[in-house]
Amino acid sequence: MSSSSGSSAVSRTGSDVTIAIAFEGVSKHFRGAGYRMLRDDLAAAAARGLRRAPPARDVVRALDDVTFDIPEGQSSALIGLNGAGKTTALKIATRIAYPTAGRVRVRGRVGALIEVGTGMHPELTGRENVQLYGRILGLSRRDINARFERIVNFADIGEALDRPVKQFSSGMQLRLGFSLAAHLEPDVLLVDEAIAVGDAGFQYRCVERMSALVREGRTLVLVSHNMSAIETLCQRAILLRDGRVAADGTAKNVVRKYLLGVQADLLAQDPAFRVTAAPGRLEIVNVSILNEAGLEVDEVNTGTSMTARLHYRAREPILEPIFEVGISDGRIGCFTLASMLVDGQVPAYLSGDGHVDCTFAELPLRPRTYELWLAVRGQEGFGDLVDWQRVRVFRVGGEIEGPGKGAVTHTLVNAAPVTIPYRWAVVRGTTETS
Amino acid sequence: MTDRNAVVRSCVRMGARSAGYAPPKLVLLFETQTADKSPMSISIKRRAEAHRGIEVKPFIEVAAGPGGISTEGMLELWAFREVLWGFAIRQVKIRYKQAAIGIGWAVIQPVVSAALFAVVLGRLASVPSEGEPYLLFALAGMVGWTYFSSAGGSGSESLVSNQSLLRKIYFPREVLPLASVGAALIDLVPGLAVLAVAAGLYGTAPSAPWLATPLIVLILIVFAAAFSLGLSAINVYYRDVKYALPFIFQLGLFLSPVVYSVQAIPARWRELYAILNPAAAAIDGFRRIFIHRAWPDATVTFGALAWASVLLLFCYVFFKRLERGFSDRV
Repeated sequence: MSSSSGSSAVSRTGSDVTIAIAFEGVSKHFRGAGYRMLRDDLAAAAARGLRRAPPARDVVRALDDVTFDIPEGQSSALIGLNGAGKTTALKIATRIAYPTAGRVRVRGRVGALIEVGTGMHPELTGRENVQLYGRILGLSRRDINARFERIVNFADIGEALDRPVKQFSSGMQLRLGFSLAAHLEPDVLLVDEAIAVGDAGFQYRCVERMSALVREGRTLVLVSHNMSAIETLCQRAILLRDGRVAADGTAKNVVRKYLLGVQADLLAQDPAFRVTAAPGRLEIVNVSILNEAGLEVDEVNTGTSMTARLHYRAREPILEPIFEVGISDGRIGCFTLASMLVDGQVPAYLSGDGHVDCTFAELPLRPRTYELWLAVRGQEGFGDLVDWQRVRVFRVGGEIEGPGKGAVTHTLVNAAPVTIPYRWAVVRGTTETS
Repeated sequence: MTDRNAVVRSCVRMGARSAGYAPPKLVLLFETQTADKSPMSISIKRRAEAHRGIEVKPFIEVAAGPGGISTEGMLELWAFREVLWGFAIRQVKIRYKQAAIGIGWAVIQPVVSAALFAVVLGRLASVPSEGEPYLLFALAGMVGWTYFSSAGGSGSESLVSNQSLLRKIYFPREVLPLASVGAALIDLVPGLAVLAVAAGLYGTAPSAPWLATPLIVLILIVFAAAFSLGLSAINVYYRDVKYALPFIFQLGLFLSPVVYSVQAIPARWRELYAILNPAAAAIDGFRRIFIHRAWPDATVTFGALAWASVLLLFCYVFFKRLERGFSDRV
């Protein structure tokens, strides 16, 4: 989706774009962690009474002077790491929480989905919950009845409708909750992580439903970690970092900036993780990444070869250690594994200081950050010498080339890390000429 | 200037109709309408004057600062009346779910405790009961007191026990304690029915003063609403309320004429006592109506109602002042 085609529908005539949401210097500070107790407050009050400084407390700045406008009909995303202030921003826009400073103005009926399924009462039936929850969200009884059929069909809960919600599976509760909020037809829809729930089929329908609302000209603000959904749905993205606006622009650019930042943070963390191992026998002292030219690097180019060099120190000769090296993109499981157990290239023994090289030829990985995992097993079993663990983060660089439009390139990179050589063949049906 | 005000007023009316309630501070709508933030662009003004082109939508402003009571707030509470009703119905529905005796508990609770008091205090300790059977006397006290303590108890806990709602959904927060106070009425009605039947069994026929019952119930509702608003707000900040409640109710039981008669209070202080403790006025009212076939004392009844209303107003202001911090602190 290109951003220019969407925005022309938004700005009717140049200057008089109607603003749906305006954040004006909004700050939200929380007092430090932990529960405040009566005796703390009494102590503070006593200190005030005695003109002494009250005990200092940590202040958490969830939002710090945040300013932005969202025009009517625009679909925007708030992105950022956990704790960046995304949810706090949504809560203030919906009057669930109030700012410490500044103000937020919202024009239009607001439908908010801060967490799917809240408001559902376990003892009430699905039908009763739809009635109650719908009313809390601002629908009249008539509105709910008019939409009841559609809500239930979308949620796909069928026979369970008249059973208490406590007997629902958690998936069913989530589906019902989202369905209700998605059928509110508000002017402004604020959604927090709703599409992170449910099975893949339901997630797909959620995205469909939200894009339908956007097409109808409603304003959408989406908080999500699902970058591909953001790129599909949103024209614009606002990146929050530590409660401040770090970037604001087209979804594509801001998402890219965000992902690069995340990767940089990961690399900066400590590229060589401390390797924990059973004390004594074998120690992995360092893991380095070598490029095609044999130089130590943090980044290798896609399509070239990469060597993981595992520096070890053996306190005593170790017979037939089995090395296993895997590459992961942060999700569970590796998508490739080099295992001596399978290929049988087990060294007879290791002794003293040395290194083991594992070379991956022609990395078929798309540019982004990856993790290197390692285990060494001896005669006793899996991981008895070095436990299976993440030992290194590295980056694959380079550009994905091709004459195509590539508007959602990095979404593809995010979703599908591995490139397998492929080719297309298109067979056209013969059309009868008339 | 007059033009603009006229437009604003008409928009307020339109907004009130289309959205179900008048959005607060609608005037600011014009300020946000233009990209350049000038108060009102010419094109908008023209459209507003044309009265057709501008689509009026509800408008909310969330600004820093303490809360308070306002006309907008009251209008909004009215707009949320269906939610209040929904919460009350929900509470009624779940109250006796999975309880075999169900709504029967609403009858059993006051009857059993009245019977206990009748044996211990009426028979063994011979507490005077205005010359009537002690069981009937104590039942009238217990019906009134049970309503107040169950409404006040569930009302005080209502914000904390619905904390997931407070953190995820917007609605005027007073809806929750008020719904609890309303839902507790489901227990008061069978309680009063039992009292009427028991009075009948002891030979008291229905009489005209029964018509005053709603007024007496109103005193209890207003008093319980004030109590619930105040304590539920404190409860958000200090969970100590939960542990203090049983003591408060125990103390209240003895401060109110549940097991003794208002006649036990020196005549000089009797009226003031019954007004300052509206529960006492209500219990005395029930006794006069159902046991003595008399009208409740006018001074005490209206005095207690007025005092309870003052308390309600005070607690409501207190509640609204604290309301904005609820979702952060609950």
